[in-house]
Amino acid sequence: MQITEIFKLAIEAIRVNKLRSVLTSLGIIIGVAAIILLVSIGSGLQNYVTSEFKKLGANSIFILPGKVEISAAGTSAQSVNKLTFALMNKLEQAKSPNIEKVLPFIEIFVTASNKNSSKVTRLVASYSDYFAISGIKTSEGRIYTDSEEKSSKKVAVIGKTIAKDLYKNQSPIGKQISLSKKPFTVIGVFEPQGSVAGVDVDNAVIIPLSAGRNLTGTDLVNQVLVRTTSTENIQEAKKDIEKILLRTLSEDDFTIMTQEQLLSSILQILGVLTLALGGIAAISLVVGGVGISNIMLVSVTERTREIGLRKAVGARPSDILIQFLLEAVILSLVGGAIGLLIGATGSFLISAYIKSSVPLWAIFLGVGFSSLVGIIFGVAPAIRASRLDPIVALRYE
Amino acid sequence: MAPIISTKNLCKYYGEEDNITKAVDNVSVKIDKGEFVAIIGPSGSGKSTLMHIIGCLDKPTSGQYFLENKQLAQFSENELAKIRNDQIGFVFQSFNLLPRTSAQKNVELPLVYAKVRAGEREKRAQDLLKKLGLGEKFQSTPAKLSGGQQQRVAIARALVNNPLILLADEPTGNLDTKASFEIMDILKNLNQEGITVVMITHEVDIAKQAKRIISMRDGKIVNDKKVIKNKKNADYGNI
Ligand SMILES: Nc1ncnc2c1ncn2[C@@H]1O[C@H](COP(=O)(O)OP(=O)(O)OP(=O)(O)O)[C@@H](O)[C@H]1O
Ligand SMILES: [Mg+2]
Repeated sequence: MQITEIFKLAIEAIRVNKLRSVLTSLGIIIGVAAIILLVSIGSGLQNYVTSEFKKLGANSIFILPGKVEISAAGTSAQSVNKLTFALMNKLEQAKSPNIEKVLPFIEIFVTASNKNSSKVTRLVASYSDYFAISGIKTSEGRIYTDSEEKSSKKVAVIGKTIAKDLYKNQSPIGKQISLSKKPFTVIGVFEPQGSVAGVDVDNAVIIPLSAGRNLTGTDLVNQVLVRTTSTENIQEAKKDIEKILLRTLSEDDFTIMTQEQLLSSILQILGVLTLALGGIAAISLVVGGVGISNIMLVSVTERTREIGLRKAVGARPSDILIQFLLEAVILSLVGGAIGLLIGATGSFLISAYIKSSVPLWAIFLGVGFSSLVGIIFGVAPAIRASRLDPIVALRYE
Repeated sequence: MAPIISTKNLCKYYGEEDNITKAVDNVSVKIDKGEFVAIIGPSGSGKSTLMHIIGCLDKPTSGQYFLENKQLAQFSENELAKIRNDQIGFVFQSFNLLPRTSAQKNVELPLVYAKVRAGEREKRAQDLLKKLGLGEKFQSTPAKLSGGQQQRVAIARALVNNPLILLADEPTGNLDTKASFEIMDILKNLNQEGITVVMITHEVDIAKQAKRIISMRDGKIVNDKKVIKNKKNADYGNI
């Protein structure tokens, strides 16, 4: 019997039992949709992180407080923060030929408020270079100047979310904003950045570093970004920084990472996370496979007489085997395709809130895995069907 | 002329020694080309079992079976499937048509397994259905056909591969008298055209329309006679 004929038969059998076929495929549909959705979120995050880091430029080095160990097993940061502004000044004054710029910043959460309302927000304090380096532009007003930074001016560039929550439809430029109960003046609103992994990037306030130090009252920085003069001398620059910091600090007090190192570590974590999520979703595919197996067994029993008749008119065991196997594979493939569609649509719908993109390999994986499930779980019922004795099958009531 | 079918000491036993059923017990029989044989006998006498062995649907416990002088003992599953496909046409009491499948597609089924192309299949199925008076019913599913019509579809299916022999297990068993006689007329006409027919029946009136009647009892052939036309009360064994 030609494969096209068997294919038609299998399609026909599925078509005749529409509702049952859909219910049977449901497990596969849900499984594949979940895999696609979770993987798309993971890979969307990876893409986002990569593009953000790329924006910073390959000649970037990060100094983080404490001994930071970033690995697939997770992030661990020990010991207290000993990165002080005084140290950063030393770094700048060392005038290493490899270092172009030292950009420390503070990143904390504060309450931003005005007469109308208040909101917990992310506060970033840094030099005015921060805007250029992180690619943030204002959509209204302006960023603060170097001299405003030097003179600790209490000015703020705020995100769209804050602007909306505190000033409704009015322009916030020139208005007062209280940050941790200290009065600041809004001078600009930065362009909407959207959200990453459900975190609203526009719920933020950016102020001059000096004003940030006054506000927090501490002498510590959260993070330092160092720009090297070129991408070639990045290792030399790293050694220079290490040498200067080790004069006052011990080896365990800080971590220096190049952009490349940091990015690859973060991507590795996200990769493991994506894989783990996909793996959990894959379990539901197996459950879906068991469902297919179950229904195919019922189907074989139900169609015992049909199988007997086919054998009586000349069907070989292999014809029957392929017929039932193909039915299971088509069920899971169609389920996989529907799941793919639902997963991709879901990924598209949430992409406004969570960066997500469906990678090509996830599509192949989804289709490949669901047909594999169909074969694995279709084999047992198909073998049972092919082995039926025509006489027993024909006498079966 | 060599017989189409010939069996020698054919036996089919079911069960273990102390509880054995001798469904077919030492049957030796020859059927020639062009014969029209009716097999009669009480329920459980082994008629169907014998026919299933002849039709290669079942294997004997012992004894020999020759189909056109070829012994079938050592044939593989696939070879048996091929014999069933192109040498034997089977007609069952309960029609055994595929539900939700058109009359034409049902008739085409053996051709599908014989790898005949779609156009050729269609033509042969339609020709046969027309010949059996179902020219208007190509697309009807079994549920929309009467019992007699369904059995005619089944006969068309049995004939579509031009088999050596037509085996019919109580083909009129589920039909009323009128439809029964219609089916018998078809079988007689087919036989006239040269097709060998072996048929099981419970009814003497039906059996008498064959050319030869074999009576079975307890798995054995107890009587085997030619039908003599117009002879009333002929002894065909205990029916
Ligand atoms: N698979 C089986 N297992 C055990 N015994 C069987 C099996 N098939 C048939 N038999 C027995 O073999 C004997 C012959 O059965 P068979 O079906 O050939 O009779 P039959 O002459 O066709 O009867 P009927 O006229 O009722 O159709 C019966 O006693 C039956 O119970
Ligand atoms: Mg019987």
